[in-house]
Amino acid sequence: EEKSTTWRVQSHWPSASSSYEDSLVRLKNQIEERTEGRVKLNLHEAGALFKAQETFNAVSRGIVEMGTISPAYAQDKISLAGIASGLPFAFRNVWEAAYFHKGLGFEDMLREEAAKHNVYWSTDKVYPTEMVVKNPINSWEDFTSLKIRSSGALQKFLDDAGASTSYLPGSELYPALDSGVVDGAHWGAAQGAASMSLYEVAKYHVQPALNIAGTDVIIVSQKALDKLSDKDQETIKQILDEQFWFRTNEYQYKERVALSKAMEENGVEINTLPEDVQQRLTKAAQASWDEAGERSENAAEALEKMKSFLRELGYL
Amino acid sequence: MSIEITTLLFFAALLFFLVLGLPLTFVLGGVSVIFLYFTWGIDSFYMVTSQMWGTMESFTLVAIPLFVFMAMILERTGVAKDLYRMMHLWCGGLRGGLAIGTLGICAIFGAMVGISGAAVVAMGTIALPAMLERGYDKKMVLGCINTGGGWGILIPPSILMILYAMITGVSVGKMFAAGVLPGILLMVLTVIYIVVRCYFQPHLAPALPEDERATWPEKLRALRAVLLPIGIVVMVLGSIVGGITTPTEAAAMGVLGALISAAVYGKFNWPLMHEAALRTFKLTGMIMWILFAAHAFSAAYQGMGAQELIEGMMTSLPGGPWGIIITMMLIVFLLAMVLDPVGIMLITLPVFMPIVASLGFDPIWFGILFVINMEIGYMTPPFGFNLFYLKGIVPPSITMGDIYKSVVPFVLVEIVGLALIMIFPEIATYLPDLLF
Amino acid sequence: MRPIHAFMNGVSRLNDFIGRWVAILVFAMFVLLLLEVFMRYVMASPTAWTNELTQLLFGVYAVMAGGYVMVHRGHVNVDLLYSHLSRRAQAGVDIFTSIIFFIFMGAVLYFGTDMALESIRGLETSYSAWNPPIWPAKTAIPVAALLLLLQGVVKLLEDIMIALNLEPPVRHTDVKSHDNNPEAL
Ligand SMILES: NC(=[NH2+])NCCC[C@H](N)C(=O)O
Ligand code: NA
Ligand code: NA
Repeated sequence: EEKSTTWRVQSHWPSASSSYEDSLVRLKNQIEERTEGRVKLNLHEAGALFKAQETFNAVSRGIVEMGTISPAYAQDKISLAGIASGLPFAFRNVWEAAYFHKGLGFEDMLREEAAKHNVYWSTDKVYPTEMVVKNPINSWEDFTSLKIRSSGALQKFLDDAGASTSYLPGSELYPALDSGVVDGAHWGAAQGAASMSLYEVAKYHVQPALNIAGTDVIIVSQKALDKLSDKDQETIKQILDEQFWFRTNEYQYKERVALSKAMEENGVEINTLPEDVQQRLTKAAQASWDEAGERSENAAEALEKMKSFLRELGYL
Repeated sequence: MSIEITTLLFFAALLFFLVLGLPLTFVLGGVSVIFLYFTWGIDSFYMVTSQMWGTMESFTLVAIPLFVFMAMILERTGVAKDLYRMMHLWCGGLRGGLAIGTLGICAIFGAMVGISGAAVVAMGTIALPAMLERGYDKKMVLGCINTGGGWGILIPPSILMILYAMITGVSVGKMFAAGVLPGILLMVLTVIYIVVRCYFQPHLAPALPEDERATWPEKLRALRAVLLPIGIVVMVLGSIVGGITTPTEAAAMGVLGALISAAVYGKFNWPLMHEAALRTFKLTGMIMWILFAAHAFSAAYQGMGAQELIEGMMTSLPGGPWGIIITMMLIVFLLAMVLDPVGIMLITLPVFMPIVASLGFDPIWFGILFVINMEIGYMTPPFGFNLFYLKGIVPPSITMGDIYKSVVPFVLVEIVGLALIMIFPEIATYLPDLLF
Repeated sequence: MRPIHAFMNGVSRLNDFIGRWVAILVFAMFVLLLLEVFMRYVMASPTAWTNELTQLLFGVYAVMAGGYVMVHRGHVNVDLLYSHLSRRAQAGVDIFTSIIFFIFMGAVLYFGTDMALESIRGLETSYSAWNPPIWPAKTAIPVAALLLLLQGVVKLLEDIMIALNLEPPVRHTDVKSHDNNPEAL
């Protein structure tokens, strides 16, 4: 009889987030089934063992065997994280980001950097990040007069572009948006906004996306992988690869369902940014790309790869 | 070692060292480290400092030093004293009048803060000396502040409700709306308890002696004492409701109001401010070190497999949907005696929620029951946070034993409230159904 | 005995001194939050740094309080049994339970140093829009742990002296202690 190991898995999604069930529980079921029970996963709610910012460290040290993060939480370790967490107004379609990762070798570059920290990196999915606002944006003035709750690189971008941004913790987002402390925010896209009840208090869903990127990542401790048989290691890596394609596709479907539900039940409307606003934002975005490229040689290479891809597509 | 045995040892060790008089924060921290060593290995100690850093980074906790500071200033300058003198004059012959007034202030405070620690310490600072001075029984006073301080998480805004919404996916707005009537219900029940008890036992909360009762002109003049406190409440609540500040930032408005009051009283001077700052530092430090260790303790317990324990308990449940709901409440109640509320939510909700949903219960209603249970947990021995926060501000003549004993009737009253909301779910669901 | 007394008083004094300064940060937090409200509500241009700086200051404020609170005996315990014991018996019990204290603080000191060193080596920043260095705030953890640990050593020495019927030094903080101020009652 073979003995089984149980992995502790620290999620960065609260269990109400659709990805907790759709990504993490799916992964658990797949792994337990296809290793025939030799590897079991114990899932832990966001923050239960380690906060999102500490999860990469914990996996790197082998304290927990697996975790989920956003690349932004590993920025001090992974120089490509800035690019991985999504350059604003770069890709226009989800398939482009997927091709960049898997077809053009960006995922391999990430894997190489993470391997130096004894971490196996596998992007869970690529998907858009979109804003919700209380009043529609119909002009550049509308945009610059916005007070937006944002975070990380997107906050800097929105700020540089001319909007006013503040960082508020997730737990204060709803009351702040409700009372008008801020008048816009992003929390994922439609599913994220719905999970935080944001559509109750902000009725306009802004498109196009602020970015499209591999914002959710599954990380595995190399130490934990090495303890498994070669066959089980291979199985798990294969499951993770399949997960990327399956989830990227499924997420798109669920986004649309969430959005149409919000439109029906909360009276949400789609607010498409006017052409001139889009152009000005794209221009502002390119300055922030170059900053992300300055992190390292690797980052410069990845940025060049992305730019030539975008030129090829006729976007630059 | 099975999780059942680990749990028993874990909590036994906790109680053992607590009873021996080691401060709570060191008990929680030390016991966590020892158990982590035996169940998870030495590397896992990293979790303790990592949780500590996470707690240092939670912005919502900034409200604690600010509200405590506000209360310190109000107490030191005499604003609080005048407020209580006014209440006493107006309550005149009503036994327990000050306790009822205190509960009213607690409810208002509950609407200003989203966490309970700040309210307990602030109300303890303001109300406790004023009531003891007027001959109120110490247990009556302690219980009253303990129970009222806890309403901070039931009356919106509430960080715990937001956390509940984030974990379970229900609407934050509905949760907030659902908390209002139960908050009022608990207040009414507590007031009834105080009125009845003090009617039969007047020595617990003496009325103003006949010869000290005020004439109408005196009463009206005393009313001036409410102007400043009302001004502060308007500043804090107004800036939350009016979209000027977040609930956390509103704490700074409270301090601003207190500073203005100090100036009006001619007490705006450095010695007083520094002294208030030092006492604030000591109390905030006490609270935060408990939270540092409590979060490490919860994480350690979670890492040892607490969830499997709960899952196991849920598979062997007594009869029917109501049996299950009551068992869940019992589990939460027991955990709340020893664990912090955030930890309890993280451990139990992922197991409970699918069951609650499959039984067809309203998750908003369940959320209110859960939050009230947390609130009871805040004040149940041995570990309720509010008990310790309160111990941090009482004079040395009041022991932990006094505080433990003082909560008993108030916990019973809250349980009655909980039962009423279970029997009449409309108390929780009426407002959210009306508004959303 | 002299050098031991001097050490004990020195540590207490150090913790008290540091605490008196760190306590003033509450004013900074207050001013920063008001400033942000003013900038956002009146000037309509919120800043990227006020809330984050407040949070960092708060973290340092909270963790650094450990030693100060201990000097002023503010870490709350359950005194149900404890208060019925004689002073010597209390000292004996405290010597025993100090094992738990030292295990906890030792772990925090060791792993806090580890975490801080890693942060200092990479000059870690927060990667927010403001992107300030956070290594100083992380370094506060081992510094605070060391201060608290030293205060624990003082407490242990004091208990040993009491248990041995020796005279512990007069704690200078007892003299001007502001806790349990009779005026507050
Ligand atoms: N880690 C947290 N966010 N904790 C919030 C809990 C609030 C705290 N227990 C209080 O009563 O004040
Ligand atoms: Na509240
Ligand atoms: Na409790």
